[in-house]
Amino acid sequence: MDSSIAFLIFAAAMWAAWLRDPRVAVFLFALGMLFTLAVYLHHATDVLPLSF
Amino acid sequence: MTPANAMKLNAVALYAISAVLLVAFYFQFELGELPCPLCLLQRVAFTALAVGPILTLRHGPRPGHYGLIILAALLGAAIASRQVLLHIMPGDAGYDSALLGYHFYTWALLGFVAAMLLFPGQFAEQAPPLGLIETVAVWLIFAVTLANGASALLECGFTWCPATPVHYELLYKPA
Repeated sequence: MDSSIAFLIFAAAMWAAWLRDPRVAVFLFALGMLFTLAVYLHHATDVLPLSF
Repeated sequence: MTPANAMKLNAVALYAISAVLLVAFYFQFELGELPCPLCLLQRVAFTALAVGPILTLRHGPRPGHYGLIILAALLGAAIASRQVLLHIMPGDAGYDSALLGYHFYTWALLGFVAAMLLFPGQFAEQAPPLGLIETVAVWLIFAVTLANGASALLECGFTWCPATPVHYELLYKPA
């Protein structure tokens, strides 16, 4: 779910970059970057039993 | 570099990003390797890389567009570096398959660093007209991004992605 939202935000940024105002695209890009960073931090403490 | 060649270079970048994501799809669906949360975030960062080239193709080369590329590449490199470091201990088998001897997160790190270095300043006052190659490049990466969103939803369901995915949440029927 979290990754799907991130993909959708960047798809929306691409759509805005192609068809709309570039400022909207940059806003959506920034929103996507912040959201992706938040998801990254959420997973930073994941236990990874398959890794070791 | 002429503006026309700069536009072609940005279209090539979009095709390269699509190729990375489609190869990842091949390993996911053909070889049955579910992407972990960090793997998904690296895919997200690759889609973020595409916003700058699309802006360049539509509105012409601008320094800010390359700034977006660098920001996305920095985020992707940070995520890929974390995954490389998670598997750096001797004896660690790494996560999923290797391609040409390197795991995908190592390739992702190299790709993000390359994305930061391979875009010299190509600035023009006006965007030249777009051809079929550039238009297809934009719609291909847009479609691949949406397909990744659908795939991640299939894998994770309507909640946080599991740390170690072993099945598709939306397709899973417990016995």
